[in-house]
Amino acid sequence: MAAREEVVRRLQELLGEAALRPDEAYAQGVSWTVQAPAPSLPDVLRVFRDAGFYLESITGLDFKDTMEIVYHMNTYEPRSRMALRVLCPHDGEVPSATGLYDSALWQEREVWEFTGVRFSGHPDLRPLLLPEDMDERPLRKTFGTVHAYRKREEIYG
Amino acid sequence: MMEAATNTGGDWLRLIVGLIVVLIFSQLNALFLVWLERKVAGHIQLRYGPMEVGPHGLLQTIVDGIKLVGKELITPFKADKKLFVIAPVLVFMPVLIPFLVLPFGPELIIRDMNVGLLLIFAFSTFSVLAILVGGWASNNKYALLGAMRSVAQNVAYEIPLLLSVMSVVLMVHSFKFSELVMAQHRVWFVFLQPVAAIIYFICATAETNRAPFDIPEAESELVAGFHTEYSGMRFGLFFLAEYTNMFIVSAVATSLFMGGWHGPFGWSLGIPGVIWFLAKTYFLLFVLMWFRWTFPRVRFDQLMNFSWKVLIPLSMLNLLVTALVVKFV
Amino acid sequence: MAEHFAEPVRQHLYSLNLGPQHPSTHGVLRILLTLDGEYIVEADPVIGYGHRGHEKMGENRTYLQFMPNTSRIDYLSGLLFNHGFCLAVEKLAGIEPPERARYIRVICAELNRISSHLLWFGTYLMDLGAFTPFLYCFDDRENILDILDRVSGSRLTYSYCRFGGVTRDIDDVFIEQTRAFVKRLRSRWKDYHNLVTKNVIFIHRTRDVGVIDKDLARRFGVTGPNLRAAGVPFDMRKVEPYEVYDRFDFQIPVGEKGDALDRYRVRLEEMEQSCRIIEQALDQLPDGPYRQERVRLKVKPPRGEVYFAFESARGLTAYYLVSDGSPYPYRCHVRVPSFGNLHCLTEVFRETLVADAISILGSIDIVVPEIDR
Repeated sequence: MAAREEVVRRLQELLGEAALRPDEAYAQGVSWTVQAPAPSLPDVLRVFRDAGFYLESITGLDFKDTMEIVYHMNTYEPRSRMALRVLCPHDGEVPSATGLYDSALWQEREVWEFTGVRFSGHPDLRPLLLPEDMDERPLRKTFGTVHAYRKREEIYG
Repeated sequence: MMEAATNTGGDWLRLIVGLIVVLIFSQLNALFLVWLERKVAGHIQLRYGPMEVGPHGLLQTIVDGIKLVGKELITPFKADKKLFVIAPVLVFMPVLIPFLVLPFGPELIIRDMNVGLLLIFAFSTFSVLAILVGGWASNNKYALLGAMRSVAQNVAYEIPLLLSVMSVVLMVHSFKFSELVMAQHRVWFVFLQPVAAIIYFICATAETNRAPFDIPEAESELVAGFHTEYSGMRFGLFFLAEYTNMFIVSAVATSLFMGGWHGPFGWSLGIPGVIWFLAKTYFLLFVLMWFRWTFPRVRFDQLMNFSWKVLIPLSMLNLLVTALVVKFV
Repeated sequence: MAEHFAEPVRQHLYSLNLGPQHPSTHGVLRILLTLDGEYIVEADPVIGYGHRGHEKMGENRTYLQFMPNTSRIDYLSGLLFNHGFCLAVEKLAGIEPPERARYIRVICAELNRISSHLLWFGTYLMDLGAFTPFLYCFDDRENILDILDRVSGSRLTYSYCRFGGVTRDIDDVFIEQTRAFVKRLRSRWKDYHNLVTKNVIFIHRTRDVGVIDKDLARRFGVTGPNLRAAGVPFDMRKVEPYEVYDRFDFQIPVGEKGDALDRYRVRLEEMEQSCRIIEQALDQLPDGPYRQERVRLKVKPPRGEVYFAFESARGLTAYYLVSDGSPYPYRCHVRVPSFGNLHCLTEVFRETLVADAISILGSIDIVVPEIDR
């Protein structure tokens, strides 16, 4: 628990109380959700790294009005997973986490090739799972058959 | 035997008949060993092995051989074609020659030379050269790695192998197989020279590239090692040579340490010498197969360390002790 | 390893293409090795040969239609992936499965975990050059496949779980067979330990080989038995108990150094722990319905999202589902453990022998289609 409290305290200092939202019931599978602006990402991730968190997964979400990158951070303690959410425009960039987490090297490559969000500062941004000559972004809602393309507030209210 | 050596006409006849018999025997024996290996493997591994062709699949390897002959001989593009073709021949030629001096029975030695033992080791070393040629000519990195490993391994294991054999030679004062076997009339050398016998058998396993020392062809690392690029009967020759080599090292072990054609403690029990000899040889072959299907593979550097740091000093020591005992006792 | 070959001479480097067709790459994995003699200077895994677009497929089919996909992501622990997906959707939609269904799922999931570990055991030993254990494991594994085949109708790519239950109830024959299997597996441990664990060649091939310590594991997000071998008791079944795992008495085996031998020991012990869970679950198995009757085929979870993590045979696996209130997931992300486990090899492979690389790759227990998704 200690690592989680530490991160929450330091992030509240860094981003302000409003950026953090607790989930006591663990209904979404995370204990806290952190909404961070893209430029502050390296600082936020450093807080996580210093507290002993590892980067569990990076997901790119495509909405009509924006892209959202969700980082799931976890440590080896019960119920301490935290979600870090960063909004960015469709052709935008977010700072890379590669300097802090080696696992970001591949995960960011994957997010980039599937959603088109660039990670500035990534040393080796080339396709990971897709063919090298692929120029589509398969997890964009404009690719293939999808059932809905929604704005962000339609889901998160 | 001795009389035959003085009679030149009879000698030539014996050699020619012997060569023909050897050719047939070595081929059939290799085919049989492949079948035996598959059967042993099968029964060790909760299955039956080949069952379809012939009784208990006895004809399976013959059918496989026919299939191999019918396969296309692929020569890789950019391979060194001459060497590539010659390597399987090179590997198969020398494995026939040791049969000339192997003592199958008191009257069943084709040529009982006074350098018989040396002849065998001289020619069995030859197969390394063929492996190197094959691995190099394939122009394939896996094959090359396999060939390099093979050479390093053979150089390392040849030394303790010869040293362990030397301790037996010291006791008998002869390289002649008939005399080596005769000396074990009462007591087999495996009881007098247990260390040498064990070292010999370990090294023989390594010399024939058998598991757990099968690193030149370690299939999980190097695909198939030096014969990765070989197909059809060229591959078949490598394969048959391996099994014939196995037979030779087991036969040498039988004659040097297990009493050759003698029964245990001089009791022949009315069984002909050749049967004793073959029974013991096939038992050792079975042990080799047993090894293969039981042990994981050792790593390359561990293998070299084991030879240079354990086997060679140990065999040297054994030789020294033997020499002292022979001299003073 | 490093002390064996102080500083490799970086003069005559050459590259070797390990895979995609190679006996030891467990599926279609390709590793570009830069070698100095037989020592690896650099390793770059090239993945994606088996990419089938499961995450995209998740966006254009209903939740139930995605169920068969889950067991194809990791074909060796398909039922565990089934189970996890089911739980994720149930959590999102607020479906409560009956007690009996929960127990049935746990039993089947643990059987599947054992079968996955058994297959790993066999193939790992085969990578090390011992062929025989492979067939013994398959003999054991066959029993599990038969048991699961009888109850779920499939042997490898299961679709046994349903939202709010399972497709079919288990019967006395299943219970009998499972108990017999557990007993049989326990009797096999002695053979396995005599044949493999105490084998001196095996110990020399695995001890101090491919050490993944805590720090490395954290940097690369390594989870599962590979992490536990480094001494971190991190298992979703204990840390975030889902289903009914909190009702069973079982341990999380951990290693010390995080070398291949530790990983081997952890996995072997995990099979024993799974046996314990199965036995307890069979003892406690309640009567009652095996599925929730009121769940609609087209599940419509409310708006929102869930990140559901569970322990598959290879480590922490998670489904990240975003729902827009329609019967189709808006986004369906799968966090797979082999992804991080394989990635850390780029570091572990450095300055090892090719032979060790094979041993390490085997000891990590990757399933390549799971990484490719």
